[in-house]
Amino acid sequence: MTGSRAKPDLKIPVEDRLFSLVLALLATETGLLKAEILSTVRGYAERYEKHGTNANLERQFERDKDEIRELGIPLETVESPDRPGDNQALRYRIPKGQYDLPDEVRFTPDELALLALAGEVWRGASLSEDSRRALTKIRGLGIEPREPVIGYAPRLRVRDAAFEPLRVALDRRQQVRFQYLKPGELAPRRRRVEPYAVVLHEGRWHLHGLDVDAEGLRTFLLSRIVGQVEISSQTFDAAPEGIQDRILAELDELRLSNAADLAVTAGSDAEVRLGKRAVRGDEDAGVIRLHFTDVAAFADELAAFGPEVRVLAPESLRTAVRDRLRIVAEAHAAAESEEIR
Amino acid sequence: MTPRRQALRAPDKLVFLLSLVPYLIEQQVIGVDEAAAHFGVPEEQIREAVRLIAMSGLPGDTGTYQSNDLFDIDWDAFEDGDEIVIVHHVAIDEAPRLAAREAAALIAGLQYLAALPENADSTALASLMEKLRAGASATPSGLAIAEPAADASLTSIRAAITGGRQLEFDYLNALGEGGRRRADPLRILSQDADWYLQAFCHTRDDVRNFRVDRMSALVVTDEPVADHTGLEVPETLFQGSSSDLDVVVDVAAEALPLLADYLADSSTAQIGDRLRVTLRLAHVHGLKRLVAGLPGLVTVVAPAEARTAVADWASAGLRGYEETSVPEG
Repeated sequence: MTGSRAKPDLKIPVEDRLFSLVLALLATETGLLKAEILSTVRGYAERYEKHGTNANLERQFERDKDEIRELGIPLETVESPDRPGDNQALRYRIPKGQYDLPDEVRFTPDELALLALAGEVWRGASLSEDSRRALTKIRGLGIEPREPVIGYAPRLRVRDAAFEPLRVALDRRQQVRFQYLKPGELAPRRRRVEPYAVVLHEGRWHLHGLDVDAEGLRTFLLSRIVGQVEISSQTFDAAPEGIQDRILAELDELRLSNAADLAVTAGSDAEVRLGKRAVRGDEDAGVIRLHFTDVAAFADELAAFGPEVRVLAPESLRTAVRDRLRIVAEAHAAAESEEIR
Repeated sequence: MTPRRQALRAPDKLVFLLSLVPYLIEQQVIGVDEAAAHFGVPEEQIREAVRLIAMSGLPGDTGTYQSNDLFDIDWDAFEDGDEIVIVHHVAIDEAPRLAAREAAALIAGLQYLAALPENADSTALASLMEKLRAGASATPSGLAIAEPAADASLTSIRAAITGGRQLEFDYLNALGEGGRRRADPLRILSQDADWYLQAFCHTRDDVRNFRVDRMSALVVTDEPVADHTGLEVPETLFQGSSSDLDVVVDVAAEALPLLADYLADSSTAQIGDRLRVTLRLAHVHGLKRLVAGLPGLVTVVAPAEARTAVADWASAGLRGYEETSVPEG
């Protein structure tokens, strides 16, 4: 085996170049200069021109660095102590201690089976790519999983277009801008937000973060974001740790503070399905009590049950459900009534 | 169930190479078939990766990739015995850390599974999530999921699946018809907060998806389930069939993703500020619930019976409020 296997006229595949780059940067303690990388590492060296500007190759290297960092590989830049600020004197390396999965992170066969099932949850969503990569890395540990968990096919869909850009911004700690339609307002308003957490509560995705213009923490519903989410280049410091759990706790508190009394038709879908979530029920009277977080969201859900459920209290929910049913009834009224209007 | 194989992108291939190397080092001698099974990939993907690894390494002091700076394998064992033996390795010997977003995706997936009754004791899940955090190269991003605990009857259903026992339960279908069913449970499917049992229904003599929250008086019987090997089990929850109802609707663009499961085809037409699409549903009873739950976002255009069914459903609901309404000021 000698270097002669890598024939210069051969087109080196991208993964080959990336793999060679990672190996080279892991093996160096002091770091490699960009010129050293481009002139020696496989995938670059074949195209390196000794007296040229190598501008294309430099751009290629910049993109490769970003790709590698996206995978969680700690590619570092070290400034030269003698020549601070000089880009040509920058050195690149991957410290092995920060690259290796720590020794204490080992999984049992049962845990491995559970992790595989957790990855299944994201089938078809953008998160499945991240789950898959994580599972590949974990398989590198060589632990044989227990038989896969059979009998389950869990799936969580992500249907808000705002989700993916927000997740990217969350990860990179970048400010976002979007138009937001607050309930009760007629027109959307532009918001600038430092995203701290994206949480799913009661089937709805929420964004929590700092509203830069209002100078305060706010929680937004992803479903009320109108149009595109723009990611700005402006970054911010790390969000307070565990903030996502605090927000979930707050939303739960909100849910418990709201209670609705509903009359449900005996033997109906509403009785069976809503009844299972009831915190209190009087079967003879056909009245159940449920907690809810958001009037608008709960009213949408109740409207779907049509005549099977009637809201007794609170009044705000009563009105909201009645208005929704009216909208649907009017939108589907016979053609002649449309002409009358 | 074989998952659909997608073409891997270069970053995925890199992750695979970086994970395969420490695995091969640790195994010392391993068959291509075993390695493929371990990573859940085709054998040819393993062979390709091994060939690439075997000619990779470090540029070295001279920048010429001398043999001492390269990985090496036992080529005879590889080419004649389809076995992999790494005889020399450089630079890496451990699995790489997880990216923050990779850890976050698995942690959120585990939080979703916390809704299952068998995960009600959350300490095992919590310690697993802690390991994922410790294995990430940066603090996992603030993604979190709280799902209400799934129906407790899942415990019995699970027991019936693992024990191979028939189930008996009362079921209220979407048409509002109730009845006692006997079924061989196949698997539990979920979609967001909704849980379904996929089962071979003896009453209907076919595979059916039952909403778990519409099941009651559930009993795990002593009767063993029949042998269903070779039975065609649908991968998805909603299956179109020729007997289904095609309905033309106008939908607000932002609400289109909410109808994704019901779209008959991918064609859309712009009608004013709405999109006109065709939905495929089993019957009008499902449609009226779907449309009434998306007030102001979806309007049925045709057929007329479907339009009428939705109008009747909403009007009937509305009457409930008029009869008992307090005079408005």
